[in-house]
Amino acid sequence: MGSAPSDSTAGVPLAAFKILIAGGFGAGKTTLVGAISEVRPLHTEESLTRASVGTDDLTGVGNKTTTTVAMDFGRLTMGTHLVLYLFGTPGQERFWFMWDELSYGALGAVVLADTRRLVDCFPSVDYFEKRGLPFIVAINCFDGAPTYDPEDVRVALDLDPRVPAVLCDARKRDSVKQILITLVEHVLASRIEEKEDSTEEESGGTEFPFQAAPVPDAAPDPAVSQA
Amino acid sequence: MPAGDKWVDKNAGPVVRPYALTGGRTQPVSGTVLDLIAVLVASTWDQGFDDVALSPEHRRILGLCRAPVTVADVASTLALPVGVVRVLLADLIGEGRITVLAQRPAGEQPSAALLKEVLHGLRAL
Repeated sequence: MGSAPSDSTAGVPLAAFKILIAGGFGAGKTTLVGAISEVRPLHTEESLTRASVGTDDLTGVGNKTTTTVAMDFGRLTMGTHLVLYLFGTPGQERFWFMWDELSYGALGAVVLADTRRLVDCFPSVDYFEKRGLPFIVAINCFDGAPTYDPEDVRVALDLDPRVPAVLCDARKRDSVKQILITLVEHVLASRIEEKEDSTEEESGGTEFPFQAAPVPDAAPDPAVSQA
Repeated sequence: MPAGDKWVDKNAGPVVRPYALTGGRTQPVSGTVLDLIAVLVASTWDQGFDDVALSPEHRRILGLCRAPVTVADVASTLALPVGVVRVLLADLIGEGRITVLAQRPAGEQPSAALLKEVLHGLRAL
């Protein structure tokens, strides 16, 4: 797109980045997003065959072919041309396919951990490790929840020693800001490591073959127009 | 629908099924799927947001795109599912009314310089 209109953009391209906020149900994802930015709703219509095989009881709603996946996102504008989007990942495992789309081209992820239900964030940690997406673990300090040393949490989650694990309060703006800074620093650090590694093995940089991603199928079946 | 209609309230969801707005089409004409944070802007010569030949949703999108916005912004502001917005956007892009300013190619990550800019931006918040 060589001849983009320049009147409204004044020649400064808008650079948009996305960061995923993952974690178990009730870990404080929406609270975290809301602590630093306005929270806006986003929804998608997904075909039931993809989204909920074996999950939804369809008795009596046999004609229902789509379901709505609701997500929250936050938008942080920095300076004149940088915009950071924070996407809370849909909690239920049946929405894994949404994660593929969300993590495509993402800068990194924050896995929000609740020490009372640490097991809830295992799937997120596994997912980002497999995807090769840089992530940090933020341990949300709930009132009344036992406090742990981040190192203990790291051991419990079997984290790579390079993955930062930090304590946070998802309700506090400064705490959330610090988490995001930690994440971007971690992304920068892993970028440098990657470069050192790639001198040995050639890195293709095609970890996320978007065209092959399941996104195009994510739209409901044409049959939905009958509904 | 008259205000205060007791049969249909906000919780009933949209009265028009989402994909009715696209004429039942669920795939973008171009076949390519826009990323959620692809940045779009209306072509400056286009006054299409007054063009009655376009559907109201197309016109609303064009109105929003007078300044650069992302796909997620458009979907959220119009309270339409992302899939529907992608189909409508592809129509407008196909007609040259909207330009995609930035859609990162698959696998390409932002440069270290840009990351440092983000870091500075965050610290200054």
